[in-house]
Amino acid sequence: MKTPFSLLKSLNWKVAGVLVPSLLALSALPARADKIERHFKVDARPVVTIHNPNGTITVRAWTKSEVMVVATRATDQVAVDAEQTGNRVDILSRQVSESASPGSMRADYEISVPEDAELQIHDDSGGVNVSNVLGDMNVETIAADVDMSDVAGYLTVKTVGGAFQCSRCAGRLEVSSITGSFRLIDLRSQYVRAQTSEGNILFTGQFLPNSIYRLKNYNGVIEVRFSPEDSFDLSATSLKGKVHNEAKLDPPSHHHFLPRFGNALFGSYNSGRAMVELSSFDGTINILKRN
Amino acid sequence: MSIVKCNAFLEQIDEWMEGERSPAAEAHLRGCADCRNLIADLDSIRDTASSLAAADPEPPARVWTALRVQLENEGLIHEADSPAVDTLRSWLRGTLWVVPRPVVAGAYLVALVAVGFALSGSSSLRNDTNLWMSRTQRSTQPLSASLATEEDAISAMANADPAVTASLRKSLTVIDNDIALCEKSVREEPQNEFARDYLYQAYQQKADLIAQVTEGTEGQ
Repeated sequence: MKTPFSLLKSLNWKVAGVLVPSLLALSALPARADKIERHFKVDARPVVTIHNPNGTITVRAWTKSEVMVVATRATDQVAVDAEQTGNRVDILSRQVSESASPGSMRADYEISVPEDAELQIHDDSGGVNVSNVLGDMNVETIAADVDMSDVAGYLTVKTVGGAFQCSRCAGRLEVSSITGSFRLIDLRSQYVRAQTSEGNILFTGQFLPNSIYRLKNYNGVIEVRFSPEDSFDLSATSLKGKVHNEAKLDPPSHHHFLPRFGNALFGSYNSGRAMVELSSFDGTINILKRN
Repeated sequence: MSIVKCNAFLEQIDEWMEGERSPAAEAHLRGCADCRNLIADLDSIRDTASSLAAADPEPPARVWTALRVQLENEGLIHEADSPAVDTLRSWLRGTLWVVPRPVVAGAYLVALVAVGFALSGSSSLRNDTNLWMSRTQRSTQPLSASLATEEDAISAMANADPAVTASLRKSLTVIDNDIALCEKSVREEPQNEFARDYLYQAYQQKADLIAQVTEGTEGQ
């Protein structure tokens, strides 16, 4: 027969057997994700900087003279600082605890800015999306992909491994990466410089008159798609790879000045109003007609 | 103009930039277009630095790291017994240190071009296959030696996102592979400027990446 003490003892073990795993399970769950919203009144051409090690950053233009920041934190291990200094708004994700795991450091941002805002964005991993902003932009990522549409200004994008896509971008575009691929679609830019080591580069859209396009990679495929109405001077060189061309080119007038290494192609298409330079070390260059 | 005379001039470049100009140095400069171009570039860097220094006197540490790694990678400063290069490095460091952040990247590139051009000698020397080959071979060694250090640096980013460290690791491998293949091409065809251009570009990317890793490690 069990004594009251032994009953209690056995009950405690049973309770502990239920409670302890439950508590362990609860402690393993991340702290509740929460949302923070901040508003900042700004003047014309404000500067917005965003530094976020992990998470997505979405920036859209709106008609208000105001910057709105909506941040969603994965856990309370990451703090979100947003502060205004004059016409500048600085947004920063900050690690609260030394022992925070990378996953708990995630913060996602949705930011609305005036369309003439200047943006400086740093995002190691996650993703960056910018649309309809017309100010200058500087974006740096490591693994995060960058997607821009209907933007303008002086755009500089640098990734280590993130891919880049730009649709209907205007102004001046300079993008570089090591392993990221680029898709440049219907650009309105007067100057485009795209350089990657191991990525592919796709350019499809009109070559604007008096514009310069320099696309360069080490390996991978560079593909440009032109239409019969386009007009450009072409220089395409792949030292170890192949060059496929569907454009009927007139030979250049000063071809004896042109360096010839590997597989090279030079000439003018129509009256040669844009300048297109394609170069690859070991990759393939395709110059194809656009449908 | 012999290399020895250029090196002797470079040993005095700090004094030259401070206004202490010996007759021998002036005589050398009159006859050496490469050193004149170098001085013109350094003057330009200093002037730009002086005019903009007040705006932001704190350049990022990564600039010097990138510059140093690039110079080492190109075989230009890893010879510790070269007083000329040490002097030049010291001057550049002192100058770049007061350059504001927006100017640093440009000044850094100008400096690289200037130093690379000056130390590769005159036009005829640049076309000297043996010199180019020797520089290229020297440049491989510090790159290989630095790989373990880079891996250590990436591993030190203990709290980093796995996607970030994976991307950095992959990119380092890609760049090292690019460098190896470019160097092979340059060895096979030393006059190929296209291959040389890619090789320099790969060095530049490597320097930038190392600076980025270093910055990431320091930021923790």
